[in-house]
Order: sequence, then C-alpha cells, then structure tokens
Amino acid sequence: MCEASIMRVAFVGKGGAGKSAIAGTFARLLARRGQPVLAIDSDPLPGLAFSLGLDRDDAPLPDEAIEDRPEDEEGPRYRLRAGLSAADAVDRYAATAPDGVRFLQFGKIRTDPRTLFRSQITFRQIIKELPEDRWHLVGDLPGGTRQAFTGWGGYAETYLVVVEPMAKSLLSARRLARLALAGDRPVRVLAVANKVSEPGDAELVARRSGLEVVASVPLEPAFADAERSGRAPLDVVPDSGAIGAVSSLVEHLDRQPLRRAPS
Amino acid sequence: MDFSGQMVVADLEAGVGTLTRLGDAGVDLVLIVVEPTPKSVEVGCRAAALVADKQLGRAVVVASRIRNDDDLAMVTKAFPDHQVVAIPDDPAIVAADRNGVAPLDSAPDAPAIQALVRLADELVAPGS
Repeated sequence: MCEASIMRVAFVGKGGAGKSAIAGTFARLLARRGQPVLAIDSDPLPGLAFSLGLDRDDAPLPDEAIEDRPEDEEGPRYRLRAGLSAADAVDRYAATAPDGVRFLQFGKIRTDPRTLFRSQITFRQIIKELPEDRWHLVGDLPGGTRQAFTGWGGYAETYLVVVEPMAKSLLSARRLARLALAGDRPVRVLAVANKVSEPGDAELVARRSGLEVVASVPLEPAFADAERSGRAPLDVVPDSGAIGAVSSLVEHLDRQPLRRAPS
Repeated sequence: MDFSGQMVVADLEAGVGTLTRLGDAGVDLVLIVVEPTPKSVEVGCRAAALVADKQLGRAVVVASRIRNDDDLAMVTKAFPDHQVVAIPDDPAIVAADRNGVAPLDSAPDAPAIQALVRLADELVAPGS
C-alpha cells in the first residue's frame, strides 16, 4: 500500500510523439521515490521495454496463467486460471525493470497476431481487475486513438497526451482529448509538450490542443542519441533537461491528484 | 472501369496491424519506413517478415532521418536482403511539419525531398 495517493496514468498521442521514452522515464522516476510502480505496455510492438532499460522480450502471458472460459459462462473466451488473481498474475509474470518497476505486457507480434489472443484477452482482465491501491499504474498506449478509448486505458484516471509542436500532432491531441472527455468515467486530460525547441512551443501546444500543459520536454540531441542507442534515456543522460522535465511532471502530478467528481 | 496507368499510394497506420490484415493481392510494393533507432528497426524487421510471410510483394526499406554513415549502417545491417534508400535528416521537413504544409511545396530542393523524388522516379520507371 502506498502512503501517497496512487497515480493511474496513461500516455497517449500520435505515433512517434515520444510516449514510450517519457512513460518509461516517468515510471522509473516514480519508483525511485520508493513506491511500487507497474508499467503497463499494451502495444503489440516493442517500445516501452527499451525505454525502461529492459531487454526486449516478446513472450506472452504463459499458458499456465490462462484457461478457457466455460461455454455456459458469459464473458471473453479466455480468463485467468481459477485461483489466480490479477495481483498474483503481476507478482508472478511481470518482469522487473531497473529501479524496481514491474513491467506487464501481453507479448509482441512476430507474424500472426492470432497467436497472442489468449494472452491479450487475459491481459485485459488483469488490468481491469488490478487492486486500486497496490501500484502506481503507468501505461503506454499505442499511437493513435484505436486503443486509447476502447477499454485498454480503462485503468487510467489521468491521460497524458504527448504532443509535439507540429501541426499533425496538435490536431491528434485535440481529437484524443475530445475522445477522452466524452467517456463516462471521471478523467482528466493533460498535455505534455515534447521536443520543444522554440520559446512559444508550450503555449502553442496549450492553445491548439485546448489542454493544460503540465510539462515541457525540450528537444535535446543527447536524449535523441539515447533513443538511437536503444538504452533508457534515464541511464544515458540522467542530467539532461528532458529528464528534469519528466521529473517535474512526476512531482506535479503527485501534488495534484485527480479530484474525483462527487458521486 | 479502366484503372490502367493509375496508382494508389496508401499511408498505413503506425505499427504492423494493418499489414497483418492486408490481402495477398492488395499491393504491389510495400515501403517500410524506419528511423535509425533499435525500436524502429525492430518494428521494421517485423513488417518485412510479414510482407515475406504473406507474400505481399516487393518491400523497400526507406531509412528516414539519417544523419551519418553509422545511422545508415544500422539500418542496412538489419535489412541485408532489402534495398535500403536513405533519406537524410533534414530541418526543412521539420519546419514543414511544424507549419502544417507539404514539404514538397515549401522546400522542393531540400535534400530529403530530392532523395524522395529520386525514389519515386525509380519506382515508377518502366521495368522497375
């Protein structure tokens, strides 16, 4: 159980905006505060593992964790094996990344996506049934809108839209914000301006996305070089302005937990 | 209708999801765009494997945002069996993206655009 309020955040945005690099850094900085963090990767392609500093692993949830749902029972075709709770599944099957971040994924596509169905369906059950107070949740959703608001980000109370100061990225951010706020859950949607290089960029992101900008991550060659090397930016350029901006983001969200709508 | 002489250029969603659902006669050519980062190259390799497995046709790798020989070597090493076309990292493309304009209109002489023009010319040349 965490003493501080639990954060349940999901990073969304247009492909290439820098979600994984920021999400991985965010998760590790949060864990360095001594609190348990679960990083949730629902992208069928590799990304977040690199940014956390983990070796890439395509493995789905193992068969031993999954069973067929009886035909007379309503619900998805597969489910967690009887007696195995969502928390048990994380304890057993999530990888442990640097700084103690736990990392859960449903596996990665090689060629035939059908090979991941069992794991994918069970993964969704796990993230739906996670206990509310055990881990901070940090999710990295695939680029675009398809997953973000079709149940995959259902654990999130805060959506962080990663936005580059580019016309296409700004347009995507507006659409993502609209979709997030159209749901029936109380969520807040905030913007992280990424690859900021000019003085008015953060203001541009705020104005064009219509979102509050809670972090402004500078465009830095050293950070980009870390990405190109395939290593976690936090390990390669820990003193960079970009890492500092993500650290400030962690503190900002910690100071301002989501104010739930009155029930 | 007669569609001879016409071409369709499709920009698929990021990742390989659409590629997994593409029928076997859907395309003549797949351009796999990768950046010189391990993540991007990994995704590109999976796309190339899908193209081969599904026998979708010819695949050409477009190495984008190439800054130097090391960047290009990273991509060519990952795709030893493919033609790799280098597109240089070019501030003109970034500026066009920031302004929401087509780079072909705003910077037709930029090195990245010229590289794309050469690629297009090659792909539509008779016998290619």
